[in-house]
Formats: sequence, structure tokens, C-alpha cells
Amino acid sequence: MSGFWDVIGRSESGPLVKEKEFDLQVARIARQMIAKYAIRYQPEHVIPADDGLADRVFQAGLDLFLELGVYCRDTGRRMKFTREEVNGALKQAPTAVTYGQGRDVAVMTARVVEDSRPPFCTLTPVGTPVAEERFVPLVQSYVQEPLAQTFSSAFSQTVHGRPIKSGTPQEVEAAIWNVIKLREAARAAGRPQIGIHNLISNAERTDAILAAMQPDFGVLPNDGLGIAAIAELKIDYERVKKVAFLRHSGHNKYGLYGPLMGGYAGGPEATAIVHVAYHFLGLLAFEAQWHCGFPLHIHYGCNTTRELLWLISITSQALSRNTHLPISVSPFAAAGPCTEMVVYELVAGSLAATVAGANLLLAAVARNRHPERASGMEARIGAEAGHLVARQGVTREQANEITKKILDEYETRLGEAPLGRRFDECYDLVSLQPTPAYLDLYEQCREKLRGFGLDYSLL
Amino acid sequence: MDLLEQMVEAVIQGDEKRSAVLARQAVEQGLDPFQVIQEGCARGMHIVGDRFGRLECYLPEVILAADAMNAAVEVLKPYLMKREDRGTRGTVVLGVIQGDLHDLGKNIVKIMLETAGFTVHDLGSDVPVRRFVEEAEKMRADIIAASAILTTTMTYMPDIAAILRELDLREKYLIMLGGAPVIADWAAKAGADGYGEDALEAVGVAQRLMAQKGGAKVP
Repeated sequence: MSGFWDVIGRSESGPLVKEKEFDLQVARIARQMIAKYAIRYQPEHVIPADDGLADRVFQAGLDLFLELGVYCRDTGRRMKFTREEVNGALKQAPTAVTYGQGRDVAVMTARVVEDSRPPFCTLTPVGTPVAEERFVPLVQSYVQEPLAQTFSSAFSQTVHGRPIKSGTPQEVEAAIWNVIKLREAARAAGRPQIGIHNLISNAERTDAILAAMQPDFGVLPNDGLGIAAIAELKIDYERVKKVAFLRHSGHNKYGLYGPLMGGYAGGPEATAIVHVAYHFLGLLAFEAQWHCGFPLHIHYGCNTTRELLWLISITSQALSRNTHLPISVSPFAAAGPCTEMVVYELVAGSLAATVAGANLLLAAVARNRHPERASGMEARIGAEAGHLVARQGVTREQANEITKKILDEYETRLGEAPLGRRFDECYDLVSLQPTPAYLDLYEQCREKLRGFGLDYSLL
Repeated sequence: MDLLEQMVEAVIQGDEKRSAVLARQAVEQGLDPFQVIQEGCARGMHIVGDRFGRLECYLPEVILAADAMNAAVEVLKPYLMKREDRGTRGTVVLGVIQGDLHDLGKNIVKIMLETAGFTVHDLGSDVPVRRFVEEAEKMRADIIAASAILTTTMTYMPDIAAILRELDLREKYLIMLGGAPVIADWAAKAGADGYGEDALEAVGVAQRLMAQKGGAKVP
């Protein structure tokens, strides 16, 4: 099995390749794999129930990874790995990851297709920009959700009234502020020792991030960081520096992978293959303990389109059938808070992932770009759908029929999805609860979803 | 099929050897090089761009088509230089803002701007604000365009307008901002003259800005 120093060695001695050449090879090799493994996206099978297809997608992802390798941007070299190394890493990969302490301990495990165990739910505003004074209440709205097992951060647009700029001294200040405020939100929610899966959202540089990871600031020994690969299948030393620190500090770490459907890989089939390959990158180059995918549509910036739901489902099935890796999916909705559309998008995303053996990271909404357009309520909507799928014992065939009905509710409106309401418009900021209007809207959507086959009485 | 139609097809197919050969034939036949670019290369790229907009093709096809177009333009360039009007719709200095290495979106914008006839000077990633200004001065650019994918790097964007004002150069350049976390309201507050939700919109905005400026040809 290759280790940290092998990875560094390969980044220094692998064959030189121009980045553009590497980019174009992604699609070329993916196309070969589509033909070799007869992989076909079928719009009527949004949630496919074809084990053979799932296994072929896994093999295609593995073959692509072995042939293409990983591109290191700092050295311009291709890092290649052998089949034995990947298999060895898969065999030795953790099957579970523990977050939190005391009564807030939570254990993420690998799941299987159509698992009756509920998904592990990491709830987070996914770095949504927020005004400094509303940072703690917004984050608290996620931590206080009963289904939250870990949480992470919003992005405060200022710290001490000053904008944060990457690479500056204020970035270090901001990272420390971020960690202190996250633990403050946990305490305010009455869950002082709940785990934080990604400690810092308002700093990019490694020096700022590491400066903030101190117990005195509220960091628990098993809190952690997410390390995001660069699209497609690339890394740089800034990311690997974090790996170097985390392997000694003992904090948890996970890989984050966001292939773009329509980008360098190509269409849904090719992007699915590349998405599987990312998990090998995370395992070998980042030593990730768990893996979170957020594949996105290149034009819509969400993953609730029909193709992306298929991609999420088939890749999650591929990985959960062929590995024991704890995997998670981050649904990205086009619509914003307090809209019917966001409810349907999040339920569809959770269905596609959960029935396929993935855990859930919830929830990026309003394309994850509009300030204050996020709240704990969207995370609740997605998490409840995930739990329901497991409790009800929804099969892939049933999930497919339900998802197609849900898609009818929003599919044609993805291009002009409503932004919805800001946090302060859809939550009472004193009680920190969703407004009656938002709860009513959710209840009306649940009524319709009951008609589609989801039995909300089981929650 | 006449030569211009063959050029359209070569660009759509992303066949850069073929497009270069066709460009040489065009010169030998005495065709107007500007016409070859506009009615051959650019038309082919427009078709590819439209298909990409509908996801009937994907980014690799767009890159290969752009390569084919550029191969033809390289052949035609010496003949274009003899003309007073080089036919550019404007000069853009483009880069990913300081601290940010994510360049996929910027690369797409570059291709789409070139497709639309703009001359693009690509400064790459992690570009300090001062360098945007220095390169714009050097290239006599019309537009400074910056992208960011991180909320921690987009905060450098307002500095472009601020530095231009400080140097008394603000009126000289149009500023366009974009990228995953950037939205229209924020871009306007950061001093942008234009904002694109995606690459396709960015091209339309660049064309509109140049038309308002009155210095370039707009279809």
C-alpha cells in the first residue's frame, strides 16, 4: 500500500504532463470506459436498480483511475497508482469514523444499498455567506436539529467588521474566530460536544487553518477537516499540507469531490465514472477516512437534475456494493429556502443517495451562492427524507417511481429556480425556529409526497 | 462544400490540422482573412457554443473546437496584421483572483470570449490585483475580467476598482466579475460594470459593455 511519502515521491518523480493534455485525457479515457463497460444513462431509470450496471461503473472508475492517475498542479506531474495499491488501500480503509464526545458521540459507517439503517447526517449551511452578527444563530439552526450528528460552518462575510482576504493576517484571525463561534453555536444549541466535520470555512490557506485548530478554541480531538480535490482529479501541495498535519494531529479528515457534469469528463456516464475515480484519489492522496461527493451540473450549479440524480445514485451504489468506504452525498438544490421547489429537490436528492447506500451532508440551497439563503430547515427536510427511506424500507424500484413524480414538480424550472427567503425571513430570530409559513409549506409538500409513496407517519 | 463551410465543419469537429490547412488554402485563394475568421471559424465556434449551452456537447468538444479555431487564426494572423482593422471586438485581461487556484470557470469564459471575437490575455490563476491593472495597461485592454470560486478570495475583487480609482484609471477600463460565489448585487457593489452568471452570459455582457463603450463592432 502506498503511503504519504510515496504520494509525495510520485508528485516529484511522476511523468511530466501538460495540464491541458491531462484535462482532455479525462474525457477520452472515460469514453473508452463507457464503451468497454457498456454504461448507459437511461432517463426513465433515475434511480437504477441494476446491480450489474453499478458494478461496471465501479470497475470503469477504477480502470480510469489506474490509467489516468492524479495530476499534481505544483509539479505538473502525473501520479499513477497500481491496482494492487488501490485494492490494498480499499481493504485497509476505515469502515467507521467517530465524531463528538460524551453524549454527543456519533459514528459514521459505510451503508449498503437499500440499507434499513438511517444515513449519517452531517448538517451544515455549506459555507453560505452570512452577516457576522447572524453567524451563530444561522449555524445554531443546524446544530439544534435532532437529526444532526455533526455540523460545520457558514461563511461570515466579515470578522470584527473587516472583510476576510485569503493569504492575509486577517485570514488567520478569521479562522480562529470561525472555530470559536462554531463551538459557541454548539453550546447554545445544548450540544456542547457534538463533532464538527469541517472546522473552517472562511480560510483557504493552510497556515490559517492550522493556527485555528487548537483545543483552547473549542476544537475536539476528533473534529476535522474536509480536503477538496480540484476538478477533475487534480491535487496541489496546499491540500497535501493539510494531510501532513492531520496524519499527526489525529483529527478526522474526509475527501470532497465535485465533478462537473458537462465539464472535462463529459456527460452523465463519463462524469459518473470520474466521480467513482475521485474516491480512489481521496483514499490514496488524502488518506481520507470518509468521502463526500457533490457532483454538479455545469450550467445549473445544482445536482437535482435527472442526470445528476442518476449519477448520484449509480455511483453511490457502485461504491457501497464494492467497498466498505463510508460515503456521503451533498445534495445541491437550485431553489432557495421556504419554497416548494427546494423541498422537492432535497427530498429527491436524499432519496437518490440514501437508497443507494450513501450518507447525507445537508444542505446547499439557492445554488450555494446567495448570502443568507440557507437555514437549518432545509437540512431537516433532507435528513428526514433520508431517515424515512431507511425506516420505510424503500427499494430502488420504489424510489425510482417516487423520484420521477417528484421531478415532475420542478424539473422544468431548474433554469429559473426561485431564490426563496433569507434566513431572517424564514426563521424567528428570537425562538430560532422556522416560521409558521415555512412549516405549513413543508407540511403541504409532505402531503403531496405521501401521495407519491413516502409515509411520513414513520418519522 | 465551399471553403468557408469546410472551415465551419473543421472547427465543429475540433480538427486543428484540417482548419490550418483550410486557412492556408484560403490565403492562397485570396480570400479575405477576416471573412474566413468570421464566417468560418467563428461561425463554427458559435454552433459549438450553442450546443454546449444545451449540453448537446461538453467542455472537451468546446476546447478542441477552440484549438481548431486558434490554429486557423494563427495561419491567418500575419495577413490580418496588414489590415488596419484586426476585427477584434475588444481586448480582455482575464484571470482568477489572488489566492484562488480554481480556473475551470475562467477557462470556459476565455474560450467563449475568444469564440465571440474578443482578444483575451489570460493571466492564469492566483493573480494579484495590481497585476490585473499592470497587464491591462500593457495590453491596452478594454475589459478587466476576474473570477473567484472561493468566498475567501472574492473579497479581493473590490480592490480592482479601488486601485483603478487610486491610480486615476477607473474610467479607462470596464470591470467584469464572476465565479461560483459571486452574485450580481455583490459584483455591482464591488464596482463591476458587468457580471455573468455563467460563461455564456459573460460573453453577452462583454458585448453589451463594449457596445456601450462605443469602441467595438457588435453584431
